[in-house]
Amino acid sequence: MEILFKRLIRLIPVLLGISVIVFLMISLTPGDPVEIMLGDQQVTPEMEQAMRRDMGLDLPIHERFVRFLYNAAQGNFGRSFFHRRPVMEVIMERLPATIELTLCAMLMAIVVAIPLGVLAAVKKGTVYDRASVVMAMIGISMPGFWFGIILIILFAIHLQWLPVSGRSTFALRVPSITGMLLIDTLLAGRLDSFIDAVKHLILPTLTLGLAMAATLMQVTRASMMDVLQQDYILFAEAKGLKRHRVIFLHALKNALIPTITVAAIQTGQLLGGNMIIETIFGWPGVGSLVVKAIFTRNYPLVQAAVLIYVVIYVLMNFIADILYTVLNPRVRI
Amino acid sequence: MKKIVLFFAVFYLLTVFIHSPGVMAADEIIIGYTSDALTMDPANHRERTTETILRNMYDGLVVRNSRMEVVPQIAESWQQLDTLTYDFILRKGVKFHNGDPLTVEDVKFTFDRIIQEGMIDGQTSPRKSLLGPLKEVKIIGPDKIRFILEKPWPVFPAFLPWQEVVSEKFVKQIGSGGMATQVNGTGPFKLVEWMRGTRIVMERFEDYYGGSSDIHPVGKARVTCLIWRIIPENASRVAALLSGEVDIINDVPAHSIRQIERNPDTRIMTVNGTRSYFLALNNTRPPFNNVKVRKALSHAVNVDLIIDKILNGNATRLNGILSPDAFGHNPNLPAYDYDPSKAKALLVEAGYNKGITVTLDVSSDLKDIAQAIAANLADAGIDAKVTVWEMSVISQDWKKPVKTRDMFLTSWGNGSLDPVGIMTPVLRTGGRGNFSGYSNQKVDALIDNAMVEIDRQKRASYYQEAESIINADAPMVFLWLPKEIYGVSARLGGWEPKADSQINLHDAYIKQ
Repeated sequence: MEILFKRLIRLIPVLLGISVIVFLMISLTPGDPVEIMLGDQQVTPEMEQAMRRDMGLDLPIHERFVRFLYNAAQGNFGRSFFHRRPVMEVIMERLPATIELTLCAMLMAIVVAIPLGVLAAVKKGTVYDRASVVMAMIGISMPGFWFGIILIILFAIHLQWLPVSGRSTFALRVPSITGMLLIDTLLAGRLDSFIDAVKHLILPTLTLGLAMAATLMQVTRASMMDVLQQDYILFAEAKGLKRHRVIFLHALKNALIPTITVAAIQTGQLLGGNMIIETIFGWPGVGSLVVKAIFTRNYPLVQAAVLIYVVIYVLMNFIADILYTVLNPRVRI
Repeated sequence: MKKIVLFFAVFYLLTVFIHSPGVMAADEIIIGYTSDALTMDPANHRERTTETILRNMYDGLVVRNSRMEVVPQIAESWQQLDTLTYDFILRKGVKFHNGDPLTVEDVKFTFDRIIQEGMIDGQTSPRKSLLGPLKEVKIIGPDKIRFILEKPWPVFPAFLPWQEVVSEKFVKQIGSGGMATQVNGTGPFKLVEWMRGTRIVMERFEDYYGGSSDIHPVGKARVTCLIWRIIPENASRVAALLSGEVDIINDVPAHSIRQIERNPDTRIMTVNGTRSYFLALNNTRPPFNNVKVRKALSHAVNVDLIIDKILNGNATRLNGILSPDAFGHNPNLPAYDYDPSKAKALLVEAGYNKGITVTLDVSSDLKDIAQAIAANLADAGIDAKVTVWEMSVISQDWKKPVKTRDMFLTSWGNGSLDPVGIMTPVLRTGGRGNFSGYSNQKVDALIDNAMVEIDRQKRASYYQEAESIINADAPMVFLWLPKEIYGVSARLGGWEPKADSQINLHDAYIKQ
């Protein structure tokens, strides 16, 4: 707990630094939210100025920045120019969908990648190993937008097993408690809604999880091969321990450390939302929201989103650190 | 044996688990729509797609029919008294979704909330400028209301369909924060559920007054439920239509048209849009300050071929800035035929014997078209280098009063279908969208005269004369007006697309 607290304290200068950089970057990028909002209309300069004032853009940049910091310190990140509501409200509405998808994809990736990676390392040089390397290369190289569309064409149009997009069917809706449908449907005790939510999750999870699984498998394989050559493994085998005991009890624990690091970093990145997957599957996460905000120069939304990303990233690294100590007691944080 | 039993058990579970194709109910219409609403408050956004969704729950004083004519909706009739004053008489028996009757005070409150500063939790409505110089709204009778403008603005009725009437009592009760998520309109549908980014569900308002008496059929909506599913990605939206999950999709990419037409359960519907495309030429410096060079450009672009091959025929060629559906459109403007040798000759006449070298600015979505135009220009001895930009960056640069670049492939939308919405910004001196830097005193005078003219015929003639002058000056290469393309299921009836891209589903039904 104390460590977590220390980490959070250390987060403050990071957040401050990041907010300066983001504020400057987005404010200095050409493009004007007022122009974008007015679209194709002839307006008088007074009308344009009134709109600029209303959005707080009539102030000089340094004043805007001080005001932003002052408000942010009080937890007020401003209003989204286009939603006209507090940005935190807008982001928080969408965050649960992103978290749900990311965790499912990560779970799928881990369940698939670690056993395959271990197997490939143990059976190094065999046909199986080579096949897994090729598969991993395909998984990494296949673009998400392409793979996602192929899945939709196959499973949603031709076979009609799964829905094209969205998170749930209207008729099977449940009250929102956590915002994560898998949990909400179970809390409501609705098995039919739960199954409906799972069906909507399958294709985006596969699309997102495939690339993650491919990377994790390669990392696990490489790390496992390295560990298997260590003296202590040789010693364990010499002692006459059974092969699977050596692999799973002695080797895997150590081999997983790089895998966890990579998984944590990937999860941190994906919790920021994956714009492409979210757009293809109509998944209402933060990725598509933030990308649109960047294009429309929705400054408050972009600033708040980046700060949330930083917090998530730091937390994910912290979780990874804790997992190291569980796997390898020699590691201290 | 155990394994076989297990296999069948898993297989059975999977088949139960994997669903059959979605069977849609006979009394609901599902729309696969590109984007979610930003808010449910009709006064607190500035987005066409949000308005399209809200317009099914909120009615306005006036509305546009499928021919884009402005007709009364909540208003029974209106009258223009002089260039500054409009009187509206309200219909009787209009109710809000909560059962309250609509009053003249509600209408006044609606407009005050938009035009007065800081009325929405301290913020001003971003729709204020859509009411132009509207100064005051006065109640002059139990069902009569007067709109007073600060200066003449003949397009006031043409801009009015963009405003929807809210209930004063309801807004005061729930506040502007509540208005962002709750709906109490007078429209044919009520809000049931808004799952952000996923769907908006509406059900029929049983006490609906029937809608505009100029748009038939009059009465309550014909289906009981509307579901707007948010599907931003084109391919996924098309897939949802093809798999029978939705009844209408908007923004169909041209390359998907054949696929939708081939499917026996789906079809394509199109309508002229309201956005004019053009190639802006910098009139303020060489080489395009010479009218001969500009005319050469107009002869050098093979507009018909681009419409045919790149837009798959889904656009109408323009010889001026106005849509053929717009008020004051001049149908007799001469076309600049595609003729590279004539273009070359014009360049020689202008003193550019060796041709010219210029840059062609474009936003990434129009890159393919820009490259096709550059290839056309090359045949006429014009070396155009295509530079791709982010739209908000390049359009800001071209809007500056001092123009420093050569050519810009862009467009301007004119949802009002009145020349004020496009000729004033794009072709009048100093207009906000006058990318070309075009300035002709005669044209300015005609546009200004039309601005204060009440007689519609005279007003139209001013614009037609201005269009002829502009056509001869060729300040830009006029290109096309794209069609809005929708995909619909064969079971849908009673709906046709509108040029302003609104999807009003009051009259739509499902064929049995």
